[in-house]
Amino acid sequence: MLQKPRDRDCQSAQPLSCRDCGVPRDVWTEPRAQGCAALGFCPAPTTPTRELWTQKQLELKVAELVQFLLVKDQKKIPIKKTSILKHVIRDYRDIFPDFLQLAAERLRYVFGYKLVELEPRSNAYILINTLEPVEEDAEVRGSQGTPTTGLLMIILGLIFMNGNSISETEVWGFLRRLGVYPTKKHSIFGDPKKLITEDFVRQRYLEYLRIPHTDPVVYEFQWGPRTNLETNKMSVLKFVAKVHNQNPTDWQMQYCEALLDE
Amino acid sequence: SKNKRCSLTPRAGNQLTPSLPHFVEEGEEAEEEEEVLTKEVEVGADGVSAMHPDLLELEVDREKCRNIRRHYRQLIYCVQQNREDIVRTASESLTEALEEADVLFDCVSRTREAVLDAQFLVLASDLGKEKAKQLNSDMRFFNHITFCDVLFVFVGLNWMEAECEEFSDCDDSIASFFWETVQKEATSWMLRAETFHYIFGSFKAEHSARKPRLEHHKRSCKMEGNGDMPMKLKKLDLNANQETTEKEVERILGLLQTYFEKCPDVPVSYFEFVIDPNSFSRTVENIFYVSFIIRDGFARIRLDQDKLPILEPTNTSQVDEENDSCSYGRKQGVISLSLQDWKNIISTFEISEAMIKNSY
Repeated sequence: MLQKPRDRDCQSAQPLSCRDCGVPRDVWTEPRAQGCAALGFCPAPTTPTRELWTQKQLELKVAELVQFLLVKDQKKIPIKKTSILKHVIRDYRDIFPDFLQLAAERLRYVFGYKLVELEPRSNAYILINTLEPVEEDAEVRGSQGTPTTGLLMIILGLIFMNGNSISETEVWGFLRRLGVYPTKKHSIFGDPKKLITEDFVRQRYLEYLRIPHTDPVVYEFQWGPRTNLETNKMSVLKFVAKVHNQNPTDWQMQYCEALLDE
Repeated sequence: SKNKRCSLTPRAGNQLTPSLPHFVEEGEEAEEEEEVLTKEVEVGADGVSAMHPDLLELEVDREKCRNIRRHYRQLIYCVQQNREDIVRTASESLTEALEEADVLFDCVSRTREAVLDAQFLVLASDLGKEKAKQLNSDMRFFNHITFCDVLFVFVGLNWMEAECEEFSDCDDSIASFFWETVQKEATSWMLRAETFHYIFGSFKAEHSARKPRLEHHKRSCKMEGNGDMPMKLKKLDLNANQETTEKEVERILGLLQTYFEKCPDVPVSYFEFVIDPNSFSRTVENIFYVSFIIRDGFARIRLDQDKLPILEPTNTSQVDEENDSCSYGRKQGVISLSLQDWKNIISTFEISEAMIKNSY
């Protein structure tokens, strides 16, 4: 049962001052039931009186959060902490970490998804799969919607094999040979330029950086933070190797780099 | 000396539009020349014909600095223009440029020139970094064209090379097949969470992203319910039936009374009155309505000499006088009529048309 440390617990609780107003504890001689406004020392707390949570209420709230996270993940855009606070948790900001923890557990044990922070201290979260893909999965996995993962993986391969960055010009030069043009509508991908330079970037799979001292401006691609969480250099190397029908060790430099990464 | 050329030769065919450094240079020069002129005028006015040696030295200094700045700007400009060349090829141009900048720097004594030197260094180091990257990727033995070819082989479309010139010329279905095959392989190397969707769908994706809570689920349920539903009764109108009955009874009573008035002494054969030779169900209805008439006392039914039921009007005066239901001795009769009976009666009595005309 999740209980917020409250004034009624003051005698037994640890904090030395009231959480709501900061009045030092030794001012009181007895515990108060309704918050320290009753004491007259400080104004009424701006947050509503937090009562003890029943197990059911807690379950409900956690379920809401899980549902929120699952739906927000549809677009694959990282979920901001502020968004979670605004829509789900609202008034109970200080127990946010506990809630998130519970929701993360739920997601892991029920769905097999891991809730991770995109980057340390970024306050943005994504869902990744904890289950390694298996042969039998192949039919079902990644079969929803447009097959963008294939395109993404090819680009990730290009980036890594080329030394962890590649210019946009070279990427388009390559993709042209596969029938994907920056200015022509594609039957599957629609607007490929938007998909690659905007959508993948917003989803944090890729970084789209300006190469300095170029005029007209030329951009380059690098791996984004989400890529590092969802896959790794060795996996991408293995993908490339498989396509070539060769061994990953055939590319010494990349192989060493991938080993170091693990 | 003003037109000393840059040691790097610009690439042939370069359309060089004067870039910013030149403009700044010219502006500066004009400014400084003005300063010099004013000095000269001042000196002239004093009557002293030669410039003060200190001033002269200052002037020479300024000229020197202007040169240095001009050189730097030219150097930066040249390097920028030849960027591709420097990075891609194994040329020594970058080293040469750096050496030149080194020489220039020896003469630098003031901030203004030092700033330009720093600017050049930034440019040179960025280019150096790119050159290193290029070297790195050259050593990685990764050929784009090969990658492209093996992709086709991997997917199983190598026969295509004979068919069409470019991949884009081909069928959409082939493209579909290609990308789906690649997709299958790619997803097995990524730990991507599958996207969550409600089975029965939802409204526009934007909505669900903005308010993705329990109410969302309720909405999708409702959506389901609003599908094809049978016509609902707005309210159950029980009264309507009763009204209809009353109306019908009144109507039939009216008919009966009309008949009685027309032929006052001729009683109506019950069967001839109620039977509708065209419809058994209407016959039954008629019997039903007539029973009300009899119950309410507007007519009475009795057996004539042939033991067949007949309808007689009740005299209202009679009703008043003997308005004691008890004295009348309420009798109840049950008439049963099967389809066969009905048909028999029609043929026996030779009923050809209904006496009670339908209101519809």
